[in-house]
Amino acid sequence: MIAVESRAENRALELLKGIWRNYSVLVVFVGIIGICAIAAPRFLRMDNLLNILRNTSTVGAIALGMTFVIIAGGIDLSSGPVLATAGAVLILLQRMVNADGTPAVPLALAIVACLAVATSFGFLNGIIITKAKLPPFIVTLAVGIMARSLVMYFMRGATVMGNNIPQFTRIGNGSVFSIPIPFLLVVGVAIIFHILLTRTKFGTYVFAVGGNENAARYSGIKVDRIRIATYMIVGLCTGMAATIEMSRMAAVAAATSGSQYEFEAITAVIVGGTSLTGGKGRLIGSIVGFIILGIVNNMMIMLNISPYLSGCVKGAVILFAVLMQRRER
Amino acid sequence: MSNAAVLQMKGICKSFFGVEVLHNVDFGVDKGEIMGLCGENGAGKSTLMKILSGIHAQDAGEVIFKGSVIRRNATPLEMQRVGVSMIHQELILLNELTIAQNIFLCREPRGAAGLINFNRMNEDAARILSKLGEKIDPKRKVRDLKIAQKQMVEIAKAIAFNVELLVMDEPTSALTGKETKILFDLISSLSAQGIAVVYISHRLKEIIDVCHKVTVLRDGHFVATKNVADVTAHEIATLMVGREVKESKASDFPGDPNAVVLEVRGVSDDLLKDVGFKVRRGEILGFSGLIGAGRTELMEVVFGIRKPRTGSVFIEGKPVTIRSAIDAIRVDLGFVTEDRKETGLVLCRDIVDNANYVSWLKNPGMFKGAKATMENTRRIIDRLAIRCSSPAQNVSNLSGGNQQKVALSKWLLSGAKVLVLDEPTRGVDVGARQEIYQIIRELAAEGVAIVIVSSDLPEILSICERVIVMHEGRITGTLNASELSEAKVMYYATDV
Repeated sequence: MIAVESRAENRALELLKGIWRNYSVLVVFVGIIGICAIAAPRFLRMDNLLNILRNTSTVGAIALGMTFVIIAGGIDLSSGPVLATAGAVLILLQRMVNADGTPAVPLALAIVACLAVATSFGFLNGIIITKAKLPPFIVTLAVGIMARSLVMYFMRGATVMGNNIPQFTRIGNGSVFSIPIPFLLVVGVAIIFHILLTRTKFGTYVFAVGGNENAARYSGIKVDRIRIATYMIVGLCTGMAATIEMSRMAAVAAATSGSQYEFEAITAVIVGGTSLTGGKGRLIGSIVGFIILGIVNNMMIMLNISPYLSGCVKGAVILFAVLMQRRER
Repeated sequence: MSNAAVLQMKGICKSFFGVEVLHNVDFGVDKGEIMGLCGENGAGKSTLMKILSGIHAQDAGEVIFKGSVIRRNATPLEMQRVGVSMIHQELILLNELTIAQNIFLCREPRGAAGLINFNRMNEDAARILSKLGEKIDPKRKVRDLKIAQKQMVEIAKAIAFNVELLVMDEPTSALTGKETKILFDLISSLSAQGIAVVYISHRLKEIIDVCHKVTVLRDGHFVATKNVADVTAHEIATLMVGREVKESKASDFPGDPNAVVLEVRGVSDDLLKDVGFKVRRGEILGFSGLIGAGRTELMEVVFGIRKPRTGSVFIEGKPVTIRSAIDAIRVDLGFVTEDRKETGLVLCRDIVDNANYVSWLKNPGMFKGAKATMENTRRIIDRLAIRCSSPAQNVSNLSGGNQQKVALSKWLLSGAKVLVLDEPTRGVDVGARQEIYQIIRELAAEGVAIVIVSSDLPEILSICERVIVMHEGRITGTLNASELSEAKVMYYATDV
């Protein structure tokens, strides 16, 4: 009898361990929300929660793409500068007007150009990394530095205001059924990406390339193409982030637009449980990851803590998340 | 006699992910004794030794070394300090460091101001290597070494410091006959100095040759410890699998000699010199030779991994261009590589993924098709008798033989017409080895042309219908099964 009971107990324990192994980030997420609700009752108000979702959408979009890159064993440090570059293209196009005051470039075309520029940067990163066989860290760092410098040069380091186009402003600031449009966009892309990652061959190959590049190559997988594709995906996501950011800010700042966003996105992915060594990871983790970062930012304001300390808290969150993931093994 | 015991392991239990891999195992070694450790894949040999060397902690039971109980969570470094050294089956050297740095890792000789004394380190390393009969510059990086040389570095690392107990997990799997002989002399001399050795091998002949006693494990249970003088290799094999094992010998290829599926002509590069061969539908062709004869390189050329200077490939009489693995896959070639960890498997992914990579590539469409994928995976798990908790189990948690079956499965699921198997049973035990031979025979009977590269002569003899022998990039002889003997193969392999 005792043996039977202990087996049942074991099974319950295994089940709990299984939940923890697969959903630890969600457990931590619920815990954080609980703590926040106690520390600042205003935190749970609907308008505050929706505000958090709106504010995290930019980094969130980048984090979605970054998940692909990191699972494939890469990294992209150029996202922030690329956001500024693509954003600058968007703002410059949308503020061009004809003599009669109507927009010279259709808004849709300006957005497509923004997405195309950002995706091209991803392609550039991918081509250099795979063809020149250089480490992604160095290539994307260099490309990022160059992108930022070019934006600074062409905009003379200034901030440029966009024209006030209501449809454009609505992308970043509007809501549908009181849910922020940028968050809906991110969720929509996340659903497509989740299917891409878990149901398609491409997604499996992304995991294979990150897990063991040689074995992937010996299995006939076109490793270079897969890697380039992941950088193009993060590029496209950065273009989407640029569109949201430009819509919300109605301006692009050569020096500061998108600054540090690549690190925020990487942080979100790591907190979400994706392995930096590649081969393992989940999109849902990254989503929870960027929302956790948003909550941290929000709570700093709620609790009236100096924004200068937000780095301390985020650093601690990274260490805590990674420690937790280590213990699962 | 018990005071002569250097190691006693009592009632050791260990589970991984709820699967018990060791059940109440007792194991002991006396001073200066050479103890063989045998068992099928998954029998728990490696796990037992990993507990001994501090890599895993046991769930229950105790380890007593030289009369004192070792604490349960002892680290590998602590175990090294008390005198336990282990040479792992899969080499764990740091490729970017030199040979000497690897040998003295964490134990570097210090000079003035506590800095590493590189001169002394290199001299000591050279001395240890020469004791092993290896005249190689200790300042070379490990990355540039051949696999047999890496093995020697591993051994040098293990004996560089005072050891009381040396564990060797399949140390000869990549060694040539000559190197094996040197190793055996070395083991005997260590034993004469009072050092105990635990020798894990699937080559039972070696156990008989070098060991005093042998302990057999089966499915995580202790089976028996015997004096080697009292048992035959056949009896050990029977203890391991728990049933009678039959050795078989291949006969000549009975099929149509004109049904050539794959023909390779005039392959030359830095190593290979005008090499060509044919393999027919349903034929099992072996490639024998010493390490470095160019057999693996030839197969890499055929599979598009290695670029030759000259050479052409014909599939069913038609010339084909193979520039990469995907080209080879398109003409239904399959390649089970010799190093499954490096090039065969994505260890951090599950059986489903690893078994289906190639068939996904071959089938049209962008979606995997969850249902068909799962059915295929279950079918192949059944067919190859892959022992796993579920298809979603990570390949890294499988034992060597089961990993090898997964590496094989991706080519079976994709319907390869020609299957190249490079060292198909390396690190695989007797039982699983017979299973793999059986699978190979079945595939051949179904019409798949099989090419086996193997350094294991008994393996070549027991399964291949025709054998091509290579020496230093050249084909030196071709033998049919009926005229095949170890002596003839060695004659061609060591050059005429």
